[in-house]
Amino acid sequence: MAERTDDILLHVRGLSKHFGGIKAVDEVTCAIKNRSIISMIGPNGAGKSTFINVVSGIYSPDAGKVYFQGEEITGVPAYEIAAKGIGRTFQLEELFGSLSVLENVMVGCHTGGRSDVLACGLSLPSARSEERRVRGEAMECLKEVGLEQRAHDPISRLPLGERKLVGVARALGMKPRLLMLDEPAGGRAAHEVEKLVRLIYTLRDQGITVFIVEHNMPFVMSLSERVIVLDEGRKIAEGTPDEVRTSEEVIKAYLGEEV
Amino acid sequence: MNGRPRQKLLWLILITVIVAIPFVAGSYVVGVMCFVAIFGGLALGMGLLLEQAGMFSLAHPTWFGLGGYVSGILAVRGIAPPWLGSIFGAVFVGIISYIIGAPLLRLKGYYLACATFGLLLIVEITMGQLGTLTGGNEGLMGIPPLSVGGLVLETDVHYYYLSWVLCLGCLWFLYNLMDSRMGRAIKSFNDSEVAARSMGINVPWYKLKVFILTAVMASMIGSVYTFYLRFTQPSIFGFPLLVELVTMIIIGGGKTLYGPLLGAFVVMWLREAIHLSLGGLLPRMSAQVDALFFGLIIIVILIFMPGGLSGWIDRFLYFGRQVFGRTDG
Repeated sequence: MAERTDDILLHVRGLSKHFGGIKAVDEVTCAIKNRSIISMIGPNGAGKSTFINVVSGIYSPDAGKVYFQGEEITGVPAYEIAAKGIGRTFQLEELFGSLSVLENVMVGCHTGGRSDVLACGLSLPSARSEERRVRGEAMECLKEVGLEQRAHDPISRLPLGERKLVGVARALGMKPRLLMLDEPAGGRAAHEVEKLVRLIYTLRDQGITVFIVEHNMPFVMSLSERVIVLDEGRKIAEGTPDEVRTSEEVIKAYLGEEV
Repeated sequence: MNGRPRQKLLWLILITVIVAIPFVAGSYVVGVMCFVAIFGGLALGMGLLLEQAGMFSLAHPTWFGLGGYVSGILAVRGIAPPWLGSIFGAVFVGIISYIIGAPLLRLKGYYLACATFGLLLIVEITMGQLGTLTGGNEGLMGIPPLSVGGLVLETDVHYYYLSWVLCLGCLWFLYNLMDSRMGRAIKSFNDSEVAARSMGINVPWYKLKVFILTAVMASMIGSVYTFYLRFTQPSIFGFPLLVELVTMIIIGGGKTLYGPLLGAFVVMWLREAIHLSLGGLLPRMSAQVDALFFGLIIIVILIFMPGGLSGWIDRFLYFGRQVFGRTDG
């Protein structure tokens, strides 16, 4: 497995995160190739969301290192990691309820702007032209996920499936190189999942690397180039969907010891 | 954009009314409206901190008082003319709020409220104890009026206009701010701090910026108030002012920017009405009567319109648009 290192977008080495005595993430090592679709699966509580939270800087790891585009980002604050090009969504959406759909996406465009308190408060021409530009960019992101006609609705009026898409559009506003989706297909109807699959392929073709944490097996297996399996914080398998499907470790983790 | 022409019309009406009042109303109305501008302007910033940025800071009267003291002392001692002193006061308060805010804003909710309330008491007591510099508890006397060039601001009408320029200036600034990149960032970390951080927003730094901004605004208003009264004393910016500001924010509603100003208007005129109607009946009880009335009003507001008057108005307008159809997109 001699992969060229400059083709690796995200490199995680021996990453651990403990909460008290619980090893939520336990010495996980993996590499994510540029412009690929890679998934992380595992039973409930396997540490998948914690993994995203550590990589995106929400938690700082207890051990291990994270490299993004060859640069170490271990322990770097979340807002700086975001500016470096890691966008993410949340399992529980975490949308901004006091803002409209479009404004939510405009917050995603935050790192692309530079107007500060005075420029904004005095409504200087620079701030106003930036506002117009960001509004346009956010609208493009909404079109990408097919929610442009919802732009001015409050978040509370959207059904769950569309809220997840707002989360994706908001992350796209950050112009990420790596997009981490936390259970994007959770609680969604079949035709919505189909749309999501098409969206993810489109994003990959635009050069975005997509990392998916998911429970929905058919979705993951049809979409991913590689799959990482986590169980009780440890990585127990990695490979193509077919390799993972037949791995004894994985069957054990999902079905119990007897198999 | 949405509703912009209507907003401009509202501003125009508001400014026309404010400008016209001294021409059509007596000095009594001008005097009360001057206080509405000063305390309304102060409540604007505090309402923004509490309700929109989610920082439960109670130190707002402190910035108001410190600004007044710094500019007042500089003017009394002849170090800086009042207008320059007001700017120095604002810079001073900006620096102090930075030094204090940086560690304090790590606290959240009631813990932040406790710490800032402590700050309020400490500054009030300190100002009372610095006898030679501040005039102690009796207050700082002999403050000259504000003057710019040859123009000396002496009458109530002068201060009325100055206060309203400052108050509406703050309102305009905050409206622009909240409708911009920074404003969305502020609302976003109040809704979900973890998501805001993941969107590239440096939450602690932004909190500090808002904290300093509103402190500086309070300081400038405090300076104008000091030169208007030509006097200041520690009890002016103590616990009673804090209660009054909170009353204004609750009655007016802090979820909208204009709410606290509306609250100030209602509180000031309601108090005048109470004094006029009960003054003869209970001449020695005015403070207690105030407390009783405003206590009751707060309870009624919190039960029946938790968003305050402005929240109620907004809902009313929203339903109006639903019934009559939206024409402004």
